[in-house]
Amino acid sequence: MMAMDIFRRIFFGHKEEYWWMKILVPITSIFVALIVGAIFIWSTGRSPVLAYKYLFGASGLVPGPYFKQHFAEMLLSSSMFIATGLAFAIAAKGGLFSIGAEGQFLVGAITAAYFGYAKPFASMPTVLHLTVIFVMVMIAGGIWGAIAGWLKAKMGIHEVITTIMLNWIALYLIEDWLVTGPMKANVETGVSGTPYVSETAKLPIILKGTRLNISILIIIVVAYLTWFLLYRTTFGFEIRAMGYTLIYNMDAPRAAGVSVDARITQTMFVSGAVAALGGAFIILGVLFQFPPVFEGGYGFDGIAVSLIGQNEPLGVFLAGILIGGLRTGATAVQLAHIPKTFPSIIEGLIVAFIALQELIRYLLMKLFVRKRNNTVSGGSDEKAVSGGVAK
Amino acid sequence: MKALELKGITKQFPRVLANDHINLSIEKGEIFSIVGENGAGKSTLMKIVYGLYTPTSGEIYVFGKKVNMKSPHDAIKLKIGMVHQEFMLIPRFTVTENIVLGDEPRKGIVFDFKRAVKEIREISEKFGLKVDPLEKVANLPVGIQQRVEILKILRRGAEILIFDEPTAVLTPEETEDLFKTLRALKKDGKTILFISHKLKEVMEISDRIAVLRRGKLQGVVKKEETNERELARMMVGREVVLEIPRVKVERGPVVLSVRDLAAKDHRGILKLKGVSFDVHAGEIVAIAGVEGNGQMELVNSLIGFTRPVKGKIILNGEEMKLVTPYNVRRKGMAYIPEDRKRRGLVLPFKIRENIIMGQHTLYPFSKGGILNDKVINQFATKQVEEFDIRPRDIYISAGNLSGGNQQKVILAREMAMKHNFLLASQPTRGLDIGAMEFVYKHLIEEKKKGIAILLISLELSEVLGLADRILVMYEGEIVGETVPEKTNEEELGMMMLGIKRNERLVQ
Ligand SMILES: Nc1ncnc2c1ncn2[C@@H]1O[C@H](COP(=O)(O)OP(=O)(O)OP(=O)(O)O)[C@@H](O)[C@H]1O
Ligand SMILES: [Mg+2]
Repeated sequence: MMAMDIFRRIFFGHKEEYWWMKILVPITSIFVALIVGAIFIWSTGRSPVLAYKYLFGASGLVPGPYFKQHFAEMLLSSSMFIATGLAFAIAAKGGLFSIGAEGQFLVGAITAAYFGYAKPFASMPTVLHLTVIFVMVMIAGGIWGAIAGWLKAKMGIHEVITTIMLNWIALYLIEDWLVTGPMKANVETGVSGTPYVSETAKLPIILKGTRLNISILIIIVVAYLTWFLLYRTTFGFEIRAMGYTLIYNMDAPRAAGVSVDARITQTMFVSGAVAALGGAFIILGVLFQFPPVFEGGYGFDGIAVSLIGQNEPLGVFLAGILIGGLRTGATAVQLAHIPKTFPSIIEGLIVAFIALQELIRYLLMKLFVRKRNNTVSGGSDEKAVSGGVAK
Repeated sequence: MKALELKGITKQFPRVLANDHINLSIEKGEIFSIVGENGAGKSTLMKIVYGLYTPTSGEIYVFGKKVNMKSPHDAIKLKIGMVHQEFMLIPRFTVTENIVLGDEPRKGIVFDFKRAVKEIREISEKFGLKVDPLEKVANLPVGIQQRVEILKILRRGAEILIFDEPTAVLTPEETEDLFKTLRALKKDGKTILFISHKLKEVMEISDRIAVLRRGKLQGVVKKEETNERELARMMVGREVVLEIPRVKVERGPVVLSVRDLAAKDHRGILKLKGVSFDVHAGEIVAIAGVEGNGQMELVNSLIGFTRPVKGKIILNGEEMKLVTPYNVRRKGMAYIPEDRKRRGLVLPFKIRENIIMGQHTLYPFSKGGILNDKVINQFATKQVEEFDIRPRDIYISAGNLSGGNQQKVILAREMAMKHNFLLASQPTRGLDIGAMEFVYKHLIEEKKKGIAILLISLELSEVLGLADRILVMYEGEIVGETVPEKTNEEELGMMMLGIKRNERLVQ
């Protein structure tokens, strides 16, 4: 019980009714998704056991052959999913449905590439150079997010619309203009895309013989800071107050003197800055330049990661590790004659079950609460009180 | 014949025993009232009857048959209907659409609007519930919206109708109309369950009255055999006299000055048409008036929710150029909002969080932007004790508190805030007499401390009892100014309806 209490404290930092639901719902969803995935495979005449053996064997989540390599790759991609996941979670806690992480990720990536190769910076020592890059990346991504926030606060334009538009603007601006124009590498070198970043801009490796770099350490710190921001600061207090009221047009925080308009913009700034970190990770740790064709999608995966992680920083971290692992194991499932998109299907299924969480919550309540304690009755009550304010 | 029988109904919430072995039997065709303090368990009991909650134990019989309801759907099938305090209507839809929603008459597969309108005309005729079936709900006053709710449940054949504090949002005239309807329903053989904190109303409309206290049934009395005083005593467990003591306080300097203030409502209609007044330190100025005569726009302008079209607001000698809630609160304004659920509280927040909202950025609750949980908890625990918030648990969500206790949380917060002007907008709406007494006590305490208070109230007894000066608002203007010693309910009533005006007092 003691351990549980500590775990709960880490997770939420405060007493929460039925807090364990937040853990049980995603875990249940993951298991059900894996079972449904197995049935899919089985129904096409292939072996689910084999598929999962290959998938998890190469995921870096469980020990096996070449574990070190897989583990490193898993953490490498996880750190990007966690960045975009946290970005979504921060906005979601404030009642903002931001799907702008994709664009902010790109903005972060191009900013990292530029400050990585641009002349006056490229001769700085590593620590200083990386600091400059990360500060610029977060400012650029933050501004990209804040634009959507500002448009909502001042003009009342819904953030879903503006963030989608900003995603497209970022994509075209970067791929059709910057990368092929002002930021194009010297043609004689035969490089397409932007120039490569200098050695001092490459993230230091922390596991010899792998590509694993400090991005995972950075994101652990950022995840902690996100939790701290949300639960320990006055700003986080206001974000959460907003999150419970904004979508229902309730005014309590505003009436109490919270400058809601400013907070919307600021929250979107923080969200954008964190998403942009992911973009820096991929440039400074994996690609080392902005390529002519960028395979994105991290921003959208971040939504899934955040949902699975129940918008809680620690949850997002764990969900990011899971998704990173599934992606890392993706190529290996082909050995079981299953397309490598299979892990994405699993991811989709998990999200679908999370989306049904009201239902799952209800069933779990019925199962556990009734049994454990006869005097407390089932899900319908909680629905009646908290149904309207689910998140 | 018994319409409804409850046997040993118990409801245990995680931290609260809301209903404790309640036995009731209600005859067909009677108007049965339930009274009790805030948090006594009235709403919980009604929600059980309507299938919103499942009782922890106990049995329910409807027209002699044992039932086991799992949702309101089952209740509707058993001919039980409920008029909620917050209406569940869709503003953009017409009255007709709202009423038939979910059970539309059809011609083939298409919605038969004409027949729907005809049906509604028939029921509204039958029960004397006049509505225009083609009007949009958004354009209707609250009283009529409530009628639409009633029509909706009648159309579904309800025989047992539950009204949870239906009069809390109504003007006295609208209440009279509602009572006419209730009597007509009774005559038609419908059974009515009625909840109100206004004992006068309860005495007027009920056949029998059940009193709940802290989840337990104290007794059921016939209307003829009781009186308001006895009911109040049964509810609270002690003698309550809702007499407001007259306290004279030396009037201090002007704290708030309003000059020629005009403002529009959210639809852009000019509702406040140039009002001017002052509020002095140690003085309670009451604004009396029928709801919808500009009070809301006045409140919104003062707190910074709407930008006035003209006029000045001078708080503590300083003209407020940009009125925002943040600015006015920093300048010393505290605010008890009229709508505690939407404006007062963040419902999923715990008591401890709600009770510091607005002060959370100040020392000692936070330092350098970082919250100090220990101080917050100590403060919350102290306030919960001092303001008698039940249950005494700072970790309970505000949404799980009864209405009265929600109001106490707001009071506990606002009183603790540094202020010398208090804007109290309908501070006793939906409160039981015990809690009302409590609010009055605190308002008078504030006045003694030399705080300037602007009280906006629809209750004349409250206005007459508390105010040092009364301003009457009618159609966005101040049509009269008086002092309680020189006036009475009749005169105020006439002014509120625009029939009589009087001169402003010379300050
Ligand atoms: N969903 C819930 N979860 C936990 N506690 C609850 C819940 N609903 C109500 N309570 C508690 O049950 C008690 C009874 O509440 P209820 O709303 O029935 O009171 P009430 O008599 O209607 O009060 P009021 O006159 O203020 O509306 C209160 O102490 C309240 O805090
Ligand atoms: Mg109630």
